Amino acid sequence: MSRVMLIAAAVLAAPLAAAAQPAALDGHALFHAKCGMCHEAGGMGTGLLARRVQPAELEKRANLTAGYVFQYARRGLGNMPPIPPGDVGDDQLKAIADYLAAPHGGK
Amino acid sequence: MPDIVLPSGLTHARLDALRREFAGVVGARNLFFDDLDRESYRDKFAIDEARHRPLGAIAPLTAEEVRQIVRIAAKVKTPLWPISRGKNFGYGGSAPVLSGSIVLDLSRMKKIEVDVDNGTALLEPGVGFYDLYDHLQANKIPLWLSTPANSWGSVIGNALDRGVGYTPYGENTSKLCGLEVVLADGDIVRTGMGAVAGSSTWNLYRYGFGPAWDQMFAQSNFGVVTKAGVWLMPEPESVLGMDLEFDRPEDLGPLIDALGPLRREGLLQANPTIGNWLRAASMVTRRTDWTDKPGALDDSVIDAIRKKFGMGWWGVGLRIFGREPVNRTIYPILEKAMTDLKPLSLKPTSWKRGEPIAPTPNMGVPMTAPLQSANWHGGVGGHVGFSPVLPQSGKLALDQFHATYARYKQFGMDYQASFAFGERHLINVNTVLFNRDDPAMMKRVDPFLKSLIADARARGYCEYRTHLDYMDTVAATYDFNDHALLRLNQRVKDALDPGGVIAPGKSGIWPSAHAKAPARAKGSARRKGRRT
Repeated sequence: MSRVMLIAAAVLAAPLAAAAQPAALDGHALFHAKCGMCHEAGGMGTGLLARRVQPAELEKRANLTAGYVFQYARRGLGNMPPIPPGDVGDDQLKAIADYLAAPHGGK
Repeated sequence: MPDIVLPSGLTHARLDALRREFAGVVGARNLFFDDLDRESYRDKFAIDEARHRPLGAIAPLTAEEVRQIVRIAAKVKTPLWPISRGKNFGYGGSAPVLSGSIVLDLSRMKKIEVDVDNGTALLEPGVGFYDLYDHLQANKIPLWLSTPANSWGSVIGNALDRGVGYTPYGENTSKLCGLEVVLADGDIVRTGMGAVAGSSTWNLYRYGFGPAWDQMFAQSNFGVVTKAGVWLMPEPESVLGMDLEFDRPEDLGPLIDALGPLRREGLLQANPTIGNWLRAASMVTRRTDWTDKPGALDDSVIDAIRKKFGMGWWGVGLRIFGREPVNRTIYPILEKAMTDLKPLSLKPTSWKRGEPIAPTPNMGVPMTAPLQSANWHGGVGGHVGFSPVLPQSGKLALDQFHATYARYKQFGMDYQASFAFGERHLINVNTVLFNRDDPAMMKRVDPFLKSLIADARARGYCEYRTHLDYMDTVAATYDFNDHALLRLNQRVKDALDPGGVIAPGKSGIWPSAHAKAPARAKGSARRKGRRT
């Protein structure tokens, strides 16, 4: 397999084509806009998590709590850098954390 | 948690007053001064955690707010460190050179205006590659981005720091066309045709009338860029190309000598990047999967990894973009030039408008997966780069490769590198992957980088970009006429920002009154007019 194909295989899917500006405090849209580049299919976070946990995509996880998501997004965890509040405000991060902690029916 | 570092002359009482003034501009909810806030703006890939600690951050929404913040900070001579999105990991991210600086976080400034007919975008600094990609996709705009390997960051931040992409528009800084800049005294200037009120050609013609200033604000601390025009590539009709692997380290020289003329002639419109095996392998595997032996990897492990993933020692992807009949005419010329070199493998690639796009940077698609290389050592990782500019000569590049590889082995580090073409130059990006959980390794990183910088300077080469830790060191290697460029930069800084409010220390530029200003630059007045 060539290295370009390896990269493509690692990436798997193109980035989301969601609307550029998420609706205010819509956790799902905010997750795509603020976290999707790393935590959807093909992102850095998904690739690294897949080395030790399944499912690796956060939206498919059933064991995330809102407090855990908020805490480690802001502090960083492992190779995930901390997300500063100027980039994702507290209210936005809370909406994302609540969305990830809620049941999604497999997504 | 390290103690709070206050800038010189700022007391806690005066900081409280300063915060109240800032809150009057952006609102208290956009000021970030608690311990967790400070922690979130630190350098994620720091070599030394104690350095580059911000005092806090402020996040404006408009250029007018930036202007007011700069004026308030200037009154008390408190340094600001502007960031677009702060995702340039390996160069310092969101952290300032000078501890105690307040991060001016422009992430909330996310306006996008696209001129579809002319293929331009007017962007604010908080617009990331994913934001712009999604905007183009959602609005079915047939324009492509030029994305870097880590596309988490800001489009114009990357261009201003002279980052690169992999399409024909890959020299991102050269695709800037017209800036809006807040100066240290709060004045707002627009460059090029933007200097004409109500201009319809701001983002179409770079130079305006008289001196052109866009590059003055790249990698500098002469102002805060609050808008920039960027040219975007029209979606091509077709993309043809090939992915090549080469078996031996020595294959680098002939490959460079074959690609250089094709690039200069224009048959290759995009800048190829020749990467070594670890540049690809560090994304898909970890060192700990192969060996627990410390020190630089030996050839038997390298051979095993290469065999498993079918990698050459070097690999390169070539792409040609445009009308299909033209591409089909060029392709055989490239194919012959490459097969003459006897590559390990050559795999053709083909895409036509309307087909699904492979999500790779040479197709203008943003990605973050290459950041997985931070996990190469298995722990909490990171990397810094060492990136000298070389001539497009196979012999000289091979000499540089051998010298650099020997240093990697001497310091017990795993060699990851690429040789990225420009139109006339090569940038030899050497990535130093480290394990922040390994204190012994972390102690080797700084002397290793300093030895690489000194080695390169002895050969006549200097870096195009560097981490916060090495800005003074690299600036000092630009030494013609006893560092005349450093003196010029300092004279400009003194003229525009004598109090050092905007990013003191960026690219080794300090105002002359600052205690950290290098002595060789402080002598500027005495040396004015000196020639060699």
